[in-house]
Amino acid sequence: MIALVDCNNFYASCERVFRPDLENKPIVVLSNNDGCVIARSNEAKALGIKMGEPAFKRKDVFEKNKINIFSTNFALYGDMSNRVMSILKANAVGIEIYSIDEAFLDFSGIKNENKVAEDLREKVKQWSGIPVSIGIAPTKALAKIANHIAKKHTKSGVFVLEDKAIIKKALQFMPVDSLWGVGRRYAKMLNQSGIQTAYDLTQVEESWVKKRMSVMGLKLVQELKGISCFPLETTTQAKKNICTSRSFGKPTKEYKQLSEAISIFAARCSEKLRKQKCSASEIRVFIYTNLYNPKHKQYYGYIKLNLDVASNESNIIIKEALRGLKMIYREDCIYKKVGVIVSKIVPNQQVQLSLFDEMQNRPKYRVLSSVMDMINRTMGRDKLRIATQGFDRKWRMREEQLSPCYTTKWDDLLKVKV
Amino acid sequence: MKIHNLHKGKDFSFYTLKQLQLDEIKLAEPMVPAGFPSPADDFVEMELNIHDYIVKNKDATFCVKVEGTSMTKADIHSGDILIVDRSLEPEHHNIVLAVIDGEFTVKRLAVNEGSLYLSPENDNFTPIKITEEMDFLVWGVITHIIHKAI
Repeated sequence: MIALVDCNNFYASCERVFRPDLENKPIVVLSNNDGCVIARSNEAKALGIKMGEPAFKRKDVFEKNKINIFSTNFALYGDMSNRVMSILKANAVGIEIYSIDEAFLDFSGIKNENKVAEDLREKVKQWSGIPVSIGIAPTKALAKIANHIAKKHTKSGVFVLEDKAIIKKALQFMPVDSLWGVGRRYAKMLNQSGIQTAYDLTQVEESWVKKRMSVMGLKLVQELKGISCFPLETTTQAKKNICTSRSFGKPTKEYKQLSEAISIFAARCSEKLRKQKCSASEIRVFIYTNLYNPKHKQYYGYIKLNLDVASNESNIIIKEALRGLKMIYREDCIYKKVGVIVSKIVPNQQVQLSLFDEMQNRPKYRVLSSVMDMINRTMGRDKLRIATQGFDRKWRMREEQLSPCYTTKWDDLLKVKV
Repeated sequence: MKIHNLHKGKDFSFYTLKQLQLDEIKLAEPMVPAGFPSPADDFVEMELNIHDYIVKNKDATFCVKVEGTSMTKADIHSGDILIVDRSLEPEHHNIVLAVIDGEFTVKRLAVNEGSLYLSPENDNFTPIKITEEMDFLVWGVITHIIHKAI
């Protein structure tokens, strides 16, 4: 059996751990630059606040209902996630961390799943303060459904989906568009073909599913039938590509600000590559204007560049990313968002050297990067940086409602009056 | 990896980074041309780690900073940092971080004749009796008090 542990309204719950006065009160968390709603407490959901809504459109609703608004505090959410995952890891044979707030656990060989899951749920809540729901089933796709039921329809927050008749009933209640991996397009196609529920989907010919939804769709259908096709991936695989991007707090047309941001994101990508001991040979740079502002000229600039030799050195990747930026930059636009993506990632040992490599001192650069990493790790992020990363950061994110980093900064500790 | 001081100048100090190789790790005491080898050589890599001493369950441990005077007799003063362990069951006489009606407070937990009290450690304050109407919970148990001596 596989258990899916999912944190309830994770970001909102993280904020609430340190703000017990917000128990039973509506909370929303806004995305970078306080743009869109990316998390809601149950109370906010009940008020009709939708996921992804632009915050400026709902300002009056926020005010009228006294909704507590937070900017994303990833330092806090990351630390709380680590705590939850660490507790889960210590209490399971195998774990696949699926996202910041979800993990699949290996529950094979466990006899009284219900009791074990309830105890685990209690422990996570007691130790970390984060409420979770646990769905248990023979496959990942069914565990996802079991989790949905646990969250919406149980008091205990735990649901075991194993009995054939109950699985059938659950599938009949599950619309296809809320199935794992079924996007809007597939849902529309299925609905047009008369397939409304997960159960309907299990009743059609598998060859039809394969033809219309590829082999992934077929695997999903088999998982719904109780045949495991997505085994637990307990070893973390190196990422296929790494993307770092942000929106500007204030849109800008200045090349200097764009190049600073691109340099920082390229450096961030390089750091991540070095951390997973990999190198990349493809660098993509993109810049775009504010899609919500029809008065301004709309532009989306994008370029893909190849390195002769895969690399993870900050200076090499920054240099290449800036070369790309120069090619796509247009003076007559006001930019809202920029980003850097590195891909074609290979482990460092598999990097192919080029016969015509023009760079003479690769080993030296490697030492330089590791010295920088070391110093930045001990002295603080970006203490040592490539000069193009700049110092003034005019483009910084807007985060007006940022909560303190209670668990990661000495100056931000929870303050208590005694 | 280790940072080694390379050169100390008037305005700048230079450091170099050194990856420890297996053959650099001391397995036996160094050869000394004459005299007795230092008996401390075997222990050079050992050091005390305060974190290990203070934090028993890192997943459940949080730090909070206090302000106020109600706990001075328990040696808790303004500006001190308290180590809170959420995994411990609160017991009679523990100092706890509690929440009453949405507000945090730090007090000593006391059970007296079947009633629950949050007791201050300062004669100018009175104990709080926990009643059924109150929204009360123990957030965590205080395990250590960090107080700066200078």
